[in-house]
Amino acid sequence: MSVPRPRQLTLGAFLPAAGHHVAAWRHPSAQADGGGNLAHYIRLAQTAERAKLDAVFLADGLAVNMTPGAAGKTDYGGNVEPITLFSALSAVTSHVGFIATASTTYEDPYLLARKFASLDLLSGGRGGWNVVTTGHSEAAGNFGLDAHPAHADRYERASEFHDVVIGLWDSWEDDAFTRDKATGRFYDPAKLHPLNHQGTHFRVRGPLNVARSPQGRPVIVQAGSSPAGKDFAARTAEVIFTAQQTEEDAQAFYRDVKERLPRYHRRADELKVMPGIYPVIGSSESEAIAKYQELQDLILPEVGLSLLSTLIGEFDLSRFPADSPLPELPETNNLKSRQTLMYEIARKRRFTIRDLYLWVAGARGHWTIIGTAGQIADQLQSWFEHGAADGFNLMPPVLPTGLDDIVEHLVPELQRRGLFRREYEGSTLRDNLGLERPVNRHAAARSSAGRQSAVTA
Amino acid sequence: MSRRQLRLGAFIMATGHHIAAWRHAGSVVDSGVNIDHYIEVAHTAERGLFDQVFVADSPGLFHRGDTESLSRQGRLSHFEPVTLWAALAAVTKHVGFVATASTTYEDPFTLARKFASLDHISKGRAAWNVVTTGSEQVYGNFGLDKHPDPEIRYERAHEFLEVVKGLWDSFEDDAFIRDPVSGVYLDPAKLHTLSHVGKYFKVAGPLNLERSPQGYPVIVQAGSSEPGRELAAATAEAIFTAWTSLAEAQSFYRDVKGRLAKYGRSPDELLILPGISPVIGRTQAEAEAKWNELQQLIHPSVGIATIAYHWPNEDISRWNLDAPPPYYPEAPKGRNSRQHVVLELAKRERLTVRQLYQYLAGARGHWVVVGTPQKIADDIQNWFENGAADGFNVMPPILPESLNEFVDLVIPELQKRGLFRTAYEGKTLRENLGLKRPVNRYAARRGIAASSQGSTLASR
Repeated sequence: MSVPRPRQLTLGAFLPAAGHHVAAWRHPSAQADGGGNLAHYIRLAQTAERAKLDAVFLADGLAVNMTPGAAGKTDYGGNVEPITLFSALSAVTSHVGFIATASTTYEDPYLLARKFASLDLLSGGRGGWNVVTTGHSEAAGNFGLDAHPAHADRYERASEFHDVVIGLWDSWEDDAFTRDKATGRFYDPAKLHPLNHQGTHFRVRGPLNVARSPQGRPVIVQAGSSPAGKDFAARTAEVIFTAQQTEEDAQAFYRDVKERLPRYHRRADELKVMPGIYPVIGSSESEAIAKYQELQDLILPEVGLSLLSTLIGEFDLSRFPADSPLPELPETNNLKSRQTLMYEIARKRRFTIRDLYLWVAGARGHWTIIGTAGQIADQLQSWFEHGAADGFNLMPPVLPTGLDDIVEHLVPELQRRGLFRREYEGSTLRDNLGLERPVNRHAAARSSAGRQSAVTA
Repeated sequence: MSRRQLRLGAFIMATGHHIAAWRHAGSVVDSGVNIDHYIEVAHTAERGLFDQVFVADSPGLFHRGDTESLSRQGRLSHFEPVTLWAALAAVTKHVGFVATASTTYEDPFTLARKFASLDHISKGRAAWNVVTTGSEQVYGNFGLDKHPDPEIRYERAHEFLEVVKGLWDSFEDDAFIRDPVSGVYLDPAKLHTLSHVGKYFKVAGPLNLERSPQGYPVIVQAGSSEPGRELAAATAEAIFTAWTSLAEAQSFYRDVKGRLAKYGRSPDELLILPGISPVIGRTQAEAEAKWNELQQLIHPSVGIATIAYHWPNEDISRWNLDAPPPYYPEAPKGRNSRQHVVLELAKRERLTVRQLYQYLAGARGHWVVVGTPQKIADDIQNWFENGAADGFNVMPPILPESLNEFVDLVIPELQKRGLFRTAYEGKTLRENLGLKRPVNRYAARRGIAASSQGSTLASR
């Protein structure tokens, strides 16, 4: 049961290998081999937990990002698979949540339902699934497909995939396991339910061979901001990650998404909106600016260009002069909302290609805030109090030190202002996010049938 | 050259291998989903210097028999093996982790990635038990109309393995340079695209993960059928198998080792590890009493369900439980070899229906040894020194109790006889098992090219 409490920020830490900046791995304080380094991730997870963050988060791709024109000059290609990594981290932490990205386009719903259920149980109810349809097209070739499926088809499949997974997670009712040594009855057969799903994309019988977890099921997270993505989130997601640049845009997004909820019989507080922020923290503003510039200076031009080519929808920009404005390109099938954002930024700020790639090199289109912990807290507070965010997904420029900065300076400042917890409220990710524990559908059906017959009687 | 020593794995079944183990006072009743239980078990195995821990797996509810018997079995809900082992890798240092995964129902890219991830996370302690999935009940979870035939499953398994190994070679070991000054992270010449196009799979690659500490996780196989033996001879580095007599085990050992040469492999490249389920007592009488106590805990409906599938057209519950079965079914050719083992045993020993199901419940056709630590060590030594085994997969009947007993009582006896290590030899599972680290295929080609060029130059 969720206890009424003052509205506070939800905070996640988005933790890619050596950091978010495209050149982070070259920075002296970065863990250059972070993507496959367990000790590095143990340190990060324990740091996040010390600061009482709600969750740590990993994005994921299903192919080596070839970075045309910059081969070998980015740290893409060396990351361990998120669910496996988070399973390991669950054994050395006790409170922080784990949000792993997995693809509805290239995975199988039974296997996916099972591994997330397993992570959720291993961690005592701290699992979350960031549902993606996969934005990068190279993945197709690794799964026997000739082409990456079209955006609309991916979302249609995602919707059915989600329903199958949620259904499998209800295979066992919470109290199905009696485990009575004396009578020899291990579970109550009436509380085990096959799914028998028959749909357009999937036929899945079930039941799942994993019990329900302490939080009922993993938290559903979504990260797309296209119209299809927003609708999907409004129907299914409990957390949404988004890239917003200004408070006005963030407010518009926030309103838009929350207004879609009643259509699906959901309340506004059942979906947490968490924009990504890229904080560059200094003890003075000039120190923060210097810190920002230090990383910018490490960007090799071909790397910056290659990154932008990807974000703009996998179009090769190297044949255009870097000092020219962004050319008009066809609409992408892949990273739709990110492509739109790139054009908006370029137009608004009159950016050349070079300006734009330098600008995206750190935060990839997320909100960059450079300043002291107090200055950054001011802005976060403003977004939080003016209907632009329920919390934030924090994107440290360099790891591990960028997370240390957040934990040592920004979080204490937010706590002083009463905006963030000093102790975890509960032991599951849902408890901490203030999300309700979902009732098992079969138990719900039984109890509503019970009520019906009571009324009839 | 040190003396040949036993390889020992602990085959972990949540509450224990005995089907009624969950009802025994020495088991943890919710252990299938209890991480603390598995942490304890892994620590115990490590204290006993086991090479590895192992879990079997099926991607679905393993259900044989009716709902009534099913609801009396303690095995239906459990962690997925790779996630479980990843968690344990973070809290252990030496013990290896063998996870079962299916070539019939999984995808090679996803599987290659999760096992390579586990190998990284454990710093070189991962192994994959390659199964084609024996259970005929899981196809419905994957949109299929039936469980594929063994011929198809094994053909697919061969190709699946080829793809997975190819993906594991995507990056050469020294591909990652990570030079902050020049900004060169990796050498693109050492990143290789697989471009596999085969009968079952089309996989471009490369894998998006650096080559793992062991090169490849150790490949394990557990089928003893004809196609299983061939797959093992071609690809496996360890094989789990079920035999109940020395003669059968010897014949299997000879047969499988004899198949290696045609794949250009030497006999020591494949370890043969039969299962043994030890019921340990300080005296023979104490061990037997413990065994009987377990057997008494088997509910008849559970027992009957464990054998009913051998006689699909009969209502076995109406048979006299205390007489031998009225007839035996023909052993299916080339199919599930465990069925064959069990029925041979039943015929040979003239078991009653009750004895048959009780026997099955204890070790599911594996070898049960009931006795003192000395007797168990004698039996192990006998098989090990007489061409029947390179080591064993130890199947504790009750967990954690039986594993504790094995580590405290049997391991010291084996060490005293010089049959088992007194400290881990290496850091990775391969090092402990005495298996070679596979050379990356692209590096090997380049090495061959370079050395042949070298000899050409030298001869000039």
